[in-house]
Amino acid sequence: MSDHDSKAAPKGRREFLTLLSGSALTVAGLATAGASLVYLRPRVTYGPPSRLSVGKPELYGSGSQVALPEAKMVIRRQGNKVAAISTVCTHLGCTVNPSETGFDCPCHGSTYDERGEVTGGPAPKALAWYRCTLAPNGEIVVDKHQVVAADTFLEIQS
Amino acid sequence: MSIREVAVADEAGLLGRIYRSIFRVRPVPQTELERSQAVASNFFFHIHSAKVYEETLKFKKTLGLGLFSLFTFVVLVITGILLMFYYVPAPEQAYQRMLDLRGVVSFGTFLRNMHRWGAHAMVGLVILHMMRVYLTGAHKAPRELNWVIGVVLLLLTLFLSFTGYLLPWDQLAYWAIMVGTSIASYAPVVGDQIRFFLLGDDDVGREALLRFYVLHVVVLPAVLSALIGLHFWRIRKDGGLARPSTDE
Repeated sequence: MSDHDSKAAPKGRREFLTLLSGSALTVAGLATAGASLVYLRPRVTYGPPSRLSVGKPELYGSGSQVALPEAKMVIRRQGNKVAAISTVCTHLGCTVNPSETGFDCPCHGSTYDERGEVTGGPAPKALAWYRCTLAPNGEIVVDKHQVVAADTFLEIQS
Repeated sequence: MSIREVAVADEAGLLGRIYRSIFRVRPVPQTELERSQAVASNFFFHIHSAKVYEETLKFKKTLGLGLFSLFTFVVLVITGILLMFYYVPAPEQAYQRMLDLRGVVSFGTFLRNMHRWGAHAMVGLVILHMMRVYLTGAHKAPRELNWVIGVVLLLLTLFLSFTGYLLPWDQLAYWAIMVGTSIASYAPVVGDQIRFFLLGDDDVGREALLRFYVLHVVVLPAVLSALIGLHFWRIRKDGGLARPSTDE
């Protein structure tokens, strides 16, 4: 066996072990980073529920529009039809105020018409209309995670 | 120990030896080597280089902006820790605790105002420091990495301001964070995920207050401190403060 062989073998082993431990550390580091991100993304939240009851239709007179500031929406009733419209400005999340012409945002001056369509200001899209359903106990349930097309009303018998 | 140091230690009695074990008083340095050792072997001095260029010591060369930034950070850490003794990061209590700091806690108004104005001052000083570095060409080779670290330090300073802004839990704080995190949601594809991740919820609420508190008092200051250490170390490794190349 020559000198060359006896030196080359340990070097190859050392490089292999360096590569192996390096890759193991990289994988462990990436896994830790990924697990930390998963950990920090909450699976349960403690804020107001996104699906909530807003009471029986009788609470809302025909032709009325009632603002629910806590839920950040208005309930609009036209005859036998009920709808829930978001009052969260689509620009940067401020709460819009109902006005003569529809809705106005106090933060950066976005304006919306009565259907929630943008009529001015920096808002990029219309106010959301939420899906309304009638619960078995007769109360209206609004699901803020289900956005429906404008003018989608819930028909109620009365 | 040099021969002269041993001689000084032998002369002292017991009390003298105790005093010397604490303060390590050495003879007045005589040579260049001893002078540099006197700086390097002292914990409080060893942040200084053993040798600096006389030209870079002039106040007008740096306006002291880097050190002023550090000093405001130290002030903010100390006042911030003191404020933590009375503040509770929960929606039911946060605002009232902030009012109590201003109203009933001894020196509370002073500490809170110092923290608030110090935070404003730090943002201003860091930006002025950045302008000084750019205008004197100190961002050029071989100091490119330290410029990048400095930019990260500026961003961390801004994140600290942003996270601290929510903690009083008043209307100004609430809507500022609502707007600020909504800006984050404009990022393509993952925007809404980023906002949810930051707030820990769909809206600014209990989770957001807690998250911003932890970021503000632990995570961001820890990262900032580590990077400040790296920043100062690099100044020396890159050859000291920038100066006209004709001096070299």
